[in-house]
Amino acid sequence: MMNQATNTQTLASVDPNSVENRYVINVSQGQTSLYVASTTGSEAASWNTYGVDNHSAGNGSFSNSTYHHVKHSEPSSRTVQDGSNATSLATSLTLGATDTQLDYGGYTSYSNSGYQGYYNGYQQQPNPSYSQPVGAYQNTGAPYQPISSFQNTGSYAGPTSYSSTYYNPGDYQTAGGYPSSSYTHQTTTWNGGNYANYSTQHPYSNYAPDTSGAYSAGNVGANSMHYQQHYKQWAEYYNQTEVSCAPGTENLSVSSASTQVPQVSQLPGVSGGYPTSNSQAPTTFATPWRPESSSSQTPLSQPGTTVTGAYDSYRTHGAPTFQNQHPSPVQPLFAKALDSKSSYSNFQEQQNTACPQIPNLQYPMAQQAPQNYQPPAQTVQSSETQRLSKLQIQTNPRIASNLPLGLSKLDKEGPNNGVISKPAYISVSQPKPSEKVLSNDAADSVIKAGVFPKSLKNYVQRALTQCKDEKQSAACQEIMKEIITKATNDGTIHTRDWDAEPLFQMPNTDMADKNSSQNPTPVSLFSKYKKSPTKRSKSRWEPLPEEKSVDKLGSLNNYAGKYSSKVHLDEKDRKPTGVNYEGKSDVMKKIRFPQMELKSASKTVQRQVKRQRLADATAADNGDASSDSDKEQNLTAYYSGAITLADTPEERKRRENRSKRFEKVQGNRAESNHFKAKNAGTGNLYARRTTALVLSKSFEDGGSRAVEDIDWDSLTVKGTCQEREKRYLRLTSAPDPSTVRPEEVLERALLMVQNSQKNYLYKCDQLKSIRQDLTVQRIRNHLTVKVYETHARFALEVGDLPEYNQCQSQLKILYAEGIDGCHMEFAAYNLLCVIMHSNNNRDLLSSMSRLSDEAKKDQAVQHALAIRAAVTSGNYVLFFRLYKTAPNLNACLMDLYVEKMRYKAVSCMSRSYRPQVPVSYIAQVLGFSSSMPTNEGSDEKDSDGLEDCVEWLKAHGACLVADSNGEMQLDSKASSSSLFMPDPEDAVAHGDASLAVNDFLTRTSL
Amino acid sequence: MAYPSMGEAHRRITDYLNNFSDAVSYQDVASLAQLFSFSSNSPPLLSVADALNFFQDANRLIKQSEKFSQYGEILAPLFRSLQSYRTGNLVDAYHAFEKFANAFIQEFRNWESAWALEALYVIAYEIRVLAERADRELASNGKSPEKLKGAGSFLMKVFGVLAGKGPKRVGALYVTCQLFKIYFKLGTVHLCRSVIRSIETARIFDFEEFPRRDKVTYMYYTGRLEVFNENFPAADHKLSYALTHCNPLREANIRMILKYLIPVKLSLGILPETSLLEKYNLLEYNNVVQALKRGDLRLLRHALQEHEDQFLRSGVYLVLEKLELQVYQRLVKKIYFIQKQKDPSKAHQLKLEVIVKALKWLEMDMDLDEVECIMTILIYKNLVKGYFAHKSKVVVLSKQDPFPKLNGKPVNS
Repeated sequence: MMNQATNTQTLASVDPNSVENRYVINVSQGQTSLYVASTTGSEAASWNTYGVDNHSAGNGSFSNSTYHHVKHSEPSSRTVQDGSNATSLATSLTLGATDTQLDYGGYTSYSNSGYQGYYNGYQQQPNPSYSQPVGAYQNTGAPYQPISSFQNTGSYAGPTSYSSTYYNPGDYQTAGGYPSSSYTHQTTTWNGGNYANYSTQHPYSNYAPDTSGAYSAGNVGANSMHYQQHYKQWAEYYNQTEVSCAPGTENLSVSSASTQVPQVSQLPGVSGGYPTSNSQAPTTFATPWRPESSSSQTPLSQPGTTVTGAYDSYRTHGAPTFQNQHPSPVQPLFAKALDSKSSYSNFQEQQNTACPQIPNLQYPMAQQAPQNYQPPAQTVQSSETQRLSKLQIQTNPRIASNLPLGLSKLDKEGPNNGVISKPAYISVSQPKPSEKVLSNDAADSVIKAGVFPKSLKNYVQRALTQCKDEKQSAACQEIMKEIITKATNDGTIHTRDWDAEPLFQMPNTDMADKNSSQNPTPVSLFSKYKKSPTKRSKSRWEPLPEEKSVDKLGSLNNYAGKYSSKVHLDEKDRKPTGVNYEGKSDVMKKIRFPQMELKSASKTVQRQVKRQRLADATAADNGDASSDSDKEQNLTAYYSGAITLADTPEERKRRENRSKRFEKVQGNRAESNHFKAKNAGTGNLYARRTTALVLSKSFEDGGSRAVEDIDWDSLTVKGTCQEREKRYLRLTSAPDPSTVRPEEVLERALLMVQNSQKNYLYKCDQLKSIRQDLTVQRIRNHLTVKVYETHARFALEVGDLPEYNQCQSQLKILYAEGIDGCHMEFAAYNLLCVIMHSNNNRDLLSSMSRLSDEAKKDQAVQHALAIRAAVTSGNYVLFFRLYKTAPNLNACLMDLYVEKMRYKAVSCMSRSYRPQVPVSYIAQVLGFSSSMPTNEGSDEKDSDGLEDCVEWLKAHGACLVADSNGEMQLDSKASSSSLFMPDPEDAVAHGDASLAVNDFLTRTSL
Repeated sequence: MAYPSMGEAHRRITDYLNNFSDAVSYQDVASLAQLFSFSSNSPPLLSVADALNFFQDANRLIKQSEKFSQYGEILAPLFRSLQSYRTGNLVDAYHAFEKFANAFIQEFRNWESAWALEALYVIAYEIRVLAERADRELASNGKSPEKLKGAGSFLMKVFGVLAGKGPKRVGALYVTCQLFKIYFKLGTVHLCRSVIRSIETARIFDFEEFPRRDKVTYMYYTGRLEVFNENFPAADHKLSYALTHCNPLREANIRMILKYLIPVKLSLGILPETSLLEKYNLLEYNNVVQALKRGDLRLLRHALQEHEDQFLRSGVYLVLEKLELQVYQRLVKKIYFIQKQKDPSKAHQLKLEVIVKALKWLEMDMDLDEVECIMTILIYKNLVKGYFAHKSKVVVLSKQDPFPKLNGKPVNS
């Protein structure tokens, strides 16, 4: 959705220029055009859905769906990337749009995942899955508006009753879209057209303008009848808006463009031309979109009459697009070109980001999958489908990646719209196209039933040529037969653009058993078609068993797809030539061990970021069963990946989670669903998180209850997790007991961390997770104190004050509750902190007055108080003496003040001493001498720290002179005016150089 | 407690209601204020409270007459508060009182003249006191005391009502002072800043226009704030204003002012007469003053240690501690004078050893480096004019005015 919205915006900006302009390859325009492409892609996708629905034929639908996904994926990928990096975005987009099948695979997977998650959320439990996508969207800089609209949708999604809910969303979306004038405009044209056309066939209208294809389609499908009225209203609404704001000129240009574009896209030759530039590629995509808009325009003027025509043209246009994307040889070329270019890196990056994310989203669903095997049985066709799926999946490596996606997508539709309401969808849309195929392309293909269209024959041929051996071709024929029968039954055999139809996947006998798990998905697809429209009434959000199953399967598929894509990517990095079976097998394995996969995937990504050369190894790793060492590696990789933190999946994940908080959801139904998922899931943290989230949401009951009203007792969990190591992820929901470690384990975990040789980042993360587990279990005892104390000390050692402060404030409370600990030690730290860092007299006074007599006798506290006196009086001699005798970690806190103190001291000296001060004295007094435990100079073997002192003085603008004995002297008079505080060389954005990621990276062993 | 008869209770309540409506209609603020003044514990009020507890259905009485029912919003919670107050349930009393106060300021807003300002003062005062007591009750029950905070935000609302162009604006300072009291009590003095800003920058307020008692209170609190900020000249100005304008018969108030003014004056180099300290029972400062006079570092430290808790609580500890430098100055000055008596020609060269020895006599165990450091600080802060020769370890004093007096200026920092 959001993507679309953004896209549309960009589109709009481009709009003024005629389509031809787009063809012209401007560097500057390149980006926009790219965007356009993506937009179109998504729209096309919606289109596809439509087509799919129409053609009930299994294969055809599959392929379509695949494409569909691809398009979707583009947007999603975009989303993944940060909006900030416009250029990279653009490139990535292009890649996504035009690239090789490999790329497609990757994208597809992405889109699917995102899509599906989204979808899922939509259907059953708006909450978890849904919100995730949202988060992803939010990440992108550009799509912000859309986001808002998105969220709106989310909220309305909550309500169980579909129809009412749906409507609001529509409103919201439009509203969201409007702010940007350009966008609005586009939308209006589009919508108007669609709406007018489709008074019966809503899916599209919704689709194109506002929401992502899947979403709208699903909704529409659900209660088509219901909606029609609404849609009409909408159309009117849109019309009005159009009138008000839509420039006539634009419309005109659009229309012209549309006519031209479709043709272009259709011709293979044209596509051949594309490879030259990235920017061009997008154009193709744009075209499909355009036509649609134009068509819609006409409808606006004459809503009633033109509907079908517009629709047809729409469809046809869509078809061409598909062609271009899918089978055309151009794509590989593109990929190569891209690779050679720097854009490649971008692409990769994108992949990385996208990849990890997807796993997250999908993961939960994937887990669910196993549970829902039963559904297949429901439909008669299931067996066939299964076969199909098996065959398809493995045959064509290139397409393979796409296929799963497609399937999944279909699945999604199936559950949402399809299963229940799909019939309505189909019935409405199909008849019209078949009746009057007015569009240029479609017209050719239209023949009477019984005669196969030429394009279909071509399609069959294409499919057969794919086959490598007898077995395959036999299987292939089988599939074809099914597809064609299906198409005939649907009546879509003529309307369908077989040229554009993607080839189904070649059956791979070896992999068949592995695929078996996936088989159900296709079934679901079919099932959705089968069902009668009338059946569907309500409760779309209820967890109907079939729906669930479908979803899960779909997710599984997605999973596979995503992985395959990932693998492909890896391979591609090394050898752009293409995909090989290895990757495939990897994928399969992954499907089996999803959990492990996820981890490895993320790891891979990070590594890629870091070092390309590791890619091979990673790919190999993926195949391995998950092991402890593997996990550990992941962890390390995680930390090492901190450099890319802003972009890393983890970070995004977190952000998503955070964003989820703001959504209100009724997750009761979802809850049950997710519980299952949890059970199924072996160890995926993320999945569990999601579950937990759902849990909490259900507790919150639509978010209507205030935080205070939550019964925390009921949320207090008793952990069951037995693993010592656990990464910290901020909870945004009720905790899931299976991810929470009980006290004994936590104790061991604390020990492990204490004895760990790893860097602070690792320890901090581990300790935070321990703290979290303690908190959610409401354990407040000596262990809690110990954990906080440990963490506070680690934080002090590296000067991580924010973290230290967190611990300190917790400790204050814990100590106040009478739990024993190193009370005095931390009282001293607290004092020191106030003295040196808050610089607030009142705070100081209050913390001093709070000290008990007993505390004042404590050595550490006395030390801290002495330091306070030294600091307030500026007594640098005393300060540095105390520095040397600091107990505990007092010196660590003092470290942070040393620089200031020295500067003050030297300026005081230069004012008071005449004529000179020996540097050796300064070095001695200001703690430069070797007896100092730590300092900037202590690493080096300077016996008396004199060198350091000289260096330091010079760096601060002091004037040094050598006296007759050759001893360095500070010329105080000259220095008094020349002293300055240099900018810290190691300044970092987060204010603490010791936490610089690079530093850790160099220390992190991979 | 002797319960009145039903008729008696009825009569008392009706009397109270009549008093209220009469006071409002005749704009008799004195009697109106009396009706609200819980903390005065005046017998009539208490007897009404008893009657209310006995009668239980006072709301019916309010409703029975148009005269009262128009103030039902005000009177009903007021009765409830009075009842709870009488039974010692201060938390409930506070809640009801806040409701009543809200209703009252709603009404107050509608009165164009400022006749009821005094009644509002009473309410502002009562709500603060009630909140403090309610908090004490809450704290003793182990609950988090937050009523005073609530009272603070209510008073902010009142401030908003008063801070306008009309005649009511003179009441703003009183509310401000109540707010100060709350904020100082809560330790959230940073919240004072917004009120101060509006008082001192808003054109609608002419500071001299406010009642004197409010001005004094205001100056006292803002002076204290300046002490926290160690902005001594400003603190001196404000506290001196408070001292000169306060009621000279209110010794307690004068003492409170002096408690802060004396340290401020000390750090500006102005020492009080011992008689003043004696008069206002501020003898804790006596030793500090003596130490300053004699340059007796030991005495100063001793005095600080002795009254540490007190000084920390009142917030002058850090101020007094800073006097150390002046004590050093005094000490060095004394050494200088002695040296001058012995040998005027070399008087301006003070050997570090001498100073160390003097400190040793004071039982201050400091080595050369440390004393050298202190000498440099003295020079740096312009308490001593001259320079330090490191090689010879000698403080070389300026021949002119080697120990400049502060004379009301703060020590350079």
